[in-house]
Amino acid sequence: MKVLTLNCGSSTVKYKLIETDREENIAYGKVERIGMIGASIEIVTKDGNKVVEEKELLDHVMAVDAILKMMVRPDLKIIESFDEIDAVGHRVVHGGETFTGSVLINDEVIKTLKENIQLAPLHNPPNIQGIEAAMAVLPDVPMVGVFDTAFHTTMPDYAYIYPIPYQLYRKHAIRRYGFHGTSHFFVSKKACEKFNCKTHSCNLITLHLGNGASIAAIKKGKSIDTSMGFTPLEGLVMGTRCGDIDPAIILHIMQQEKLALYEANNLLNKFSGILGLSGKSSDMRDIEELYNQGDDLARLTIDIYTYRIKKYIGAYFAVLGHVDIIVFTAGVGENSPLIRERSLEDMELFGIKIDPEKNEKVVGGKEGVISSDDSKVKVVVVPTNEELVIAMDTAKIVEKLKGKKKKK
Amino acid sequence: MKIRKIGIIGCGLVAQGIAQNLSHSKLEVIMFDEKRYWLENGIEAISVAIDNEISRWGLTPSDKKAILSRIEISTRIQDLRDANILIEAKGQNFEDKKDILIEAETVCDDKTVFMTNTTTISISNIQNYLKFPERLIGLHFIPPIPKTPIVEIIKGVKTDEEVVKITKLLMETIGKRCIEVYEYPGFVTSRVILPMINTAAQVLLEGLATAEDIDAAIQLGYNMSMGPLAIADQIGIDVVLSYMDSIFRNLGDPSYRACPLLRKMVRERKLGVKTREGFFKYDEKMRRIKNL
Repeated sequence: MKVLTLNCGSSTVKYKLIETDREENIAYGKVERIGMIGASIEIVTKDGNKVVEEKELLDHVMAVDAILKMMVRPDLKIIESFDEIDAVGHRVVHGGETFTGSVLINDEVIKTLKENIQLAPLHNPPNIQGIEAAMAVLPDVPMVGVFDTAFHTTMPDYAYIYPIPYQLYRKHAIRRYGFHGTSHFFVSKKACEKFNCKTHSCNLITLHLGNGASIAAIKKGKSIDTSMGFTPLEGLVMGTRCGDIDPAIILHIMQQEKLALYEANNLLNKFSGILGLSGKSSDMRDIEELYNQGDDLARLTIDIYTYRIKKYIGAYFAVLGHVDIIVFTAGVGENSPLIRERSLEDMELFGIKIDPEKNEKVVGGKEGVISSDDSKVKVVVVPTNEELVIAMDTAKIVEKLKGKKKKK
Repeated sequence: MKIRKIGIIGCGLVAQGIAQNLSHSKLEVIMFDEKRYWLENGIEAISVAIDNEISRWGLTPSDKKAILSRIEISTRIQDLRDANILIEAKGQNFEDKKDILIEAETVCDDKTVFMTNTTTISISNIQNYLKFPERLIGLHFIPPIPKTPIVEIIKGVKTDEEVVKITKLLMETIGKRCIEVYEYPGFVTSRVILPMINTAAQVLLEGLATAEDIDAAIQLGYNMSMGPLAIADQIGIDVVLSYMDSIFRNLGDPSYRACPLLRKMVRERKLGVKTREGFFKYDEKMRRIKNL
């Protein structure tokens, strides 16, 4: 089945066309500056041919239309007609409490997504625009929504309810939702496959360390806790987000600096984390370089970053009882032996032993075990592939739908 | 209507605020004025305003790059032809605004929506001079424009309902709540705030309390984010005085008779934030210097 995955931002669309039977990428690319002068569309074919064109793309409908027209271009030979696309899978950031798994999109689903906008005011509106655009361009193709939050809906209430007045949960649905769900799901499944263990008999801690970062405790295939909360701001230190801080700090700063809400929001989301600590960059590669040159703030940034990962790992060991596998993924997780080593150092008592040689070798999007042979807990790096999860989920739902239609 | 590009006539404080606000909302902007160095100064002022925002974590350096990249400048009025919305923010009086908009009609498409920023000037009167009067609507922004989430929209007698709709949509896109007001001098915001500023100046003149204490009393007593004298400094004392005089002339209402202290301050060029001294003093970054 050929599935087009779409990840829509307010002025961007990232897409991938995947052949799900062979789990193979046919083409991918992005559209940028939608609705602005200088809008562009980029496509990369499976042979590595890259084409970038400037076009007038006033809205998401025009963007999706342009993607499809690019795919049927005879010189690119990606597909011959739109009919070859069997389904479209949409990444949707927030499913709220309604969506516990991927769903076939219909009017009712769109209505519920719109009701959930208040939970993710920045992300869900462009996701919905993308869905509506794809429906306009491919009206007869089934669409599936895959949610970042869905994998974490298995958390028990004591993990997702915050100790603030309970009426706020009832009134405004304030609770932990967790994000990066498709990534945590994908890498946990892959890691289990790697060690030939069944997901339902295995406990894992998965670390998605990218510009945004989160960690999840997975018990027998189900997420039972994760570090991101009501928004993606909570938890680990991130590129520009602060992660866990005493909430009173922000009230104090707002009062002292006379900050407006949007200024406080930016301070926490865009000026904190690695950027705020180092004062130089939000990119861990830059910080490692500075650290190697002896920069003390870079040293402090890495110390805080890894110390907090370690604290979470300790906490998730406690809630899981025992841990079989620890998985690192995403930009920093896949490429930084230093961060992996520092996050897990001196944890032999937990049964974790890193093999420094193996650790050094697993970089650049490679998959590989980095724990020593005698480590009780296996530690592995698994490159994430959220689009593949979206495509596979979409294919599964659409196959079921076809099956139902046949029975009728 | 899909907004292609927004033309702004003028590059002073109001035009700068509008340009920054529009561009921050991902809209393409072209700013027109007669002299290139005026425009370059205008862009420099926007850049400084954004730097101030960055120092308070309001915007990021990449926001700055994006905002400035979407603002084009031109001294050729013909370049406004690409815009399908035009905002006039240059004219200081009725004659200026009328002449600017008449000239704009010679270069713009018949369907281009015209908006003009005004506090006291009648939209209906300007409409009498335009070829397509139904396309003109009034806006009243309140400085600092990028931060103040309210705008008054003023319909002239001939303004088309579709133009009202487009205006509301544009204002919502840039994060403003619109209130539709009748065409009447001062509209709502100025009509209400000016007598308060005037009375605060009068109280100061009579020596009842210090400027600091008058503002503290009103700000804390009535839960306002700023006191009336600080608001006057933000607006500009000369602007406050000209509004007062204009409304007083139009309405004859004695609550708009300007306090002599305002005239004295204008004579002394103590015009508020822009001259770094008004009721209060300000440093080079326009931040208030405390305890004077």
